[in-house]
This record gives sequence, structure tokens and C-alpha cells, in this order.
Amino acid sequence: MSSEFEISRSITIGQYVPTDSYIHRLDPRVKLLLFVVIVVAIAFNTSYIGNAIGLFLSLYLFWASKIPISYGLSGVKPAIPFIIILALLQLLFQGQLFSGGKVYVDYGFILITSESIRLVVVSAVRFIEIIFLSSVLTLSTSTTQLTHSIQSLLSPLKKINFPVHEISLITTISIRFVPTFAIEMEKMMKAQASRGADFGTGGWWRIIQRTKETFPIIIPLFNIALSRAEDLILAMESRCYTPGGNRSSYSVYKTLAKDYLVLLVGLLFAYLLIFYPFPF
Amino acid sequence: MKKSLTVRDIVIAGVLGAVAILLGVTRLGYIPVPTAAGNATIMHIPAIIGGIMQGPVVGLIVGAIFGISSFLNATVPLFKDPLVAILPRLFIGVAAWLVYVGLRRKNEYFAVCASAFIGTLTNTVLVLTMAVVRHYLTPAVAWTVGITNGIPEAIVGTIVTLAVVLAWKQIGKNKKSKISEDM
Repeated sequence: MSSEFEISRSITIGQYVPTDSYIHRLDPRVKLLLFVVIVVAIAFNTSYIGNAIGLFLSLYLFWASKIPISYGLSGVKPAIPFIIILALLQLLFQGQLFSGGKVYVDYGFILITSESIRLVVVSAVRFIEIIFLSSVLTLSTSTTQLTHSIQSLLSPLKKINFPVHEISLITTISIRFVPTFAIEMEKMMKAQASRGADFGTGGWWRIIQRTKETFPIIIPLFNIALSRAEDLILAMESRCYTPGGNRSSYSVYKTLAKDYLVLLVGLLFAYLLIFYPFPF
Repeated sequence: MKKSLTVRDIVIAGVLGAVAILLGVTRLGYIPVPTAAGNATIMHIPAIIGGIMQGPVVGLIVGAIFGISSFLNATVPLFKDPLVAILPRLFIGVAAWLVYVGLRRKNEYFAVCASAFIGTLTNTVLVLTMAVVRHYLTPAVAWTVGITNGIPEAIVGTIVTLAVVLAWKQIGKNKKSKISEDM
């Protein structure tokens, strides 16, 4: 029973695994940029070979960053039933849209073609690739590094008055407050439970009851969040924080030759995934 | 885009983003509905509240934080696609703000309810449209999900938003910081 209230423990944001590998020591900006580019490239690629290469790359990155593959698999495991259901739905009902290629089954509204099978396999593999890639990124880069690199990557946008520093401050505040609110939420759940509220005891089919149970948590959660925001606003203003001022940073990242090399290889890879006409 | 965000904009966007992330990682933000999509969500509510309280830019930023966190935490292949997970979410807060500003003159309560409702619909409709465009769902499945998930989401979204915004108006009467209003 007590495990239901242990929210703050189950939060895995910034689940950094320090193994000091080659991947860990790369410039975080390079990592983030390549992550975005390669995920987009994978999202556009629809060939078997392209996705096999993507899968191989994501497994290789796990090996290179010396992070146990079980971390990646733990992200995939809860998704397996969804993958299977989605694959079945796509297989049975998407044939009409992808009627190209060889027809295998044509029975009533069910039409299974080589193209629809391709769609099913590719979207399942693509999903696993993206889980692996995002796990490697978050496991090998600390949240501080990530927010710094977001700020630094977006800094060219300052020229068009895009609030880069503000965006990165917002991200930092968000990440910083998640554990605080988790603790607050735990307290509230305990307080409500001690007054006789029950959480999660109704069956999953009693949707209305389950929904009503969440109200006494969510509404105070917002109120606590907003009153904490008031405190923070006051604290920042009393220290004369002005948005849009020029600031220097405590930690400065240096992009070395090896970072440029990795960046080049990664961009080339993404280019190939998007534009190379894979035969299969 | 506004020239620069105020301290209030920054902090409120950050805090609401934190709530959106928290609702996602604790699974509290999911209402279990037995459909193909699995769960209805209430995680878009911070984006709506951000839009109502601080305007379209904050709504957009909170929406982006929600989108990115749902992209990173997704266990469904559908939401591991950035075009489905992130892009539609940007418009939630903006739509909510437009409705709120349009109706505020007539009746405050009605404006909050309507903008929560429209904000939720924006999320449902745009995500499902992207899902169909990207071939994760067929139009027929998308319609059923839209009706079975969209309606409970819209109702819950309206109730929670109204409660939070009304409570906020009470807190707001004795705001601690007086500077933000002048800036």
C-alpha cells in the first residue's frame, strides 16, 4: 500500500549514469543536435535496410557509452503490448491506404499487402530505435548539460529577438520543480488518504470514479504550484533579475576536433537515411 | 512575438511545465479509458491554464514542454513520433488564449470554461489528425478515439481548469509581487 504514495522515488528525470565513456565526454551540444537530426531522419525513413541500420546504430551507441542495455530495454518492455495492438490494427485496417506492392490476403475489408507489412514492421522498429536513442541521450547527459546546450544551440535565434535565455531558464525551473512538486503531491495524497479518500482502489472500468479520485490531488497541486510561483517571482524580482539581460555562464563548453568529427559523421548518416534510395 | 518575457511569464511557464511533466511521469495525468489509444489525458491542462493566465507565448511554451515530455516518456509508438507528440501541442495554449480573450468581456466564468473546452479539443483533434496523416491510425479508428477519449477529456479539462483559475483569481487578489504588473 505504501508504494502508491512513493511518487518521488519513481521519477526518473535526469537519470544520469556516470560511466565516463567516450559518449559521456562528447560536447553535450553535439549530442543534442545529433539526437534531433537522427530522430527526424529515422522518422522519415521507410525502408527495411535504413531502419536496420538505425537499430544497429542505437545498439552501438549503448555499447559505446558503456550503459547496460537493460536501461534501454526497460523503456521498451512496457510498450510491447501497445506495439502488438497497434501492429495488428495497422495490418488489418491500413491495407486500403497502402495497396501498392504484392497482395497477400484480400478478404472483405482486410487487405494485407507487402506495403502494409512494411508499414507495420517499420513503425515498430522505428519506435524501438527512438526509445534507445533518447535513453542514450538522457542517460549519458546530465540535465544541467542539456539545458546549457539548449541555450547555446538556440543562441543564434537571439538575433531575431527570440528569448533564448528565458526559454532555457523556463526549462531549468521546470526540471528543478518536478521533484519538489512530487514531494508536495505525496504529502497531499497522504493527507487526503488519512481523511478517508481512497486512491486506485476502484476497478479500471469505473472511469468516472477513478477520475473523481484525482480531483482532490490535481486542483491543490495547481494551487501549490502557482503560490510557489508567486514566491519565486518575488524572490527573483527582489534580487533585481531582469529578463533579457546579458549573462555569462559558469561552465563553458569547448567543442574539440573529435566533437566536430562525430558531428560530421552523424550528419552524413542522417543525410543518407533521408535521401539515399535504399533498394529494400 | 513579444519583445521580452516578464519574470512572471518565465516563472509561471516553468512551474506549469513542471506540473505537466509531473502529471506525465506519475501517470496521474492519464484517465484510463478502454480504447485503442489506451488513455485519455489531462496533461494538456497546464498549457490551457498558462494560455489563460499569461497569454499565448506562455501557453505555447508550456505546450512545448508537455509535448517534449510526452515524447520522451511515451510508451506508445504513436507518441514516439515528434510530429505527433510535439507539434500539435504547441497550439493548445494559443487556442485557449484566443477563446478566453474573445469571450472575457461577456462572462469570465463562461470564457474560462469555453477556452478549456476548445483547448482540449485542439489537442484531441490535432493529435488525431497528425496520427492519421502519419498513418498510425485509420480515419475510422481516429473518429472512435476522438469521441471516446475527447469527450471525457473535455469534461475533466473544463472542471479542473475552472477550479484552478477561480482559485487563482482568489490568490491573485493579494499577489506578493507588485512589480510585474508595471513591467
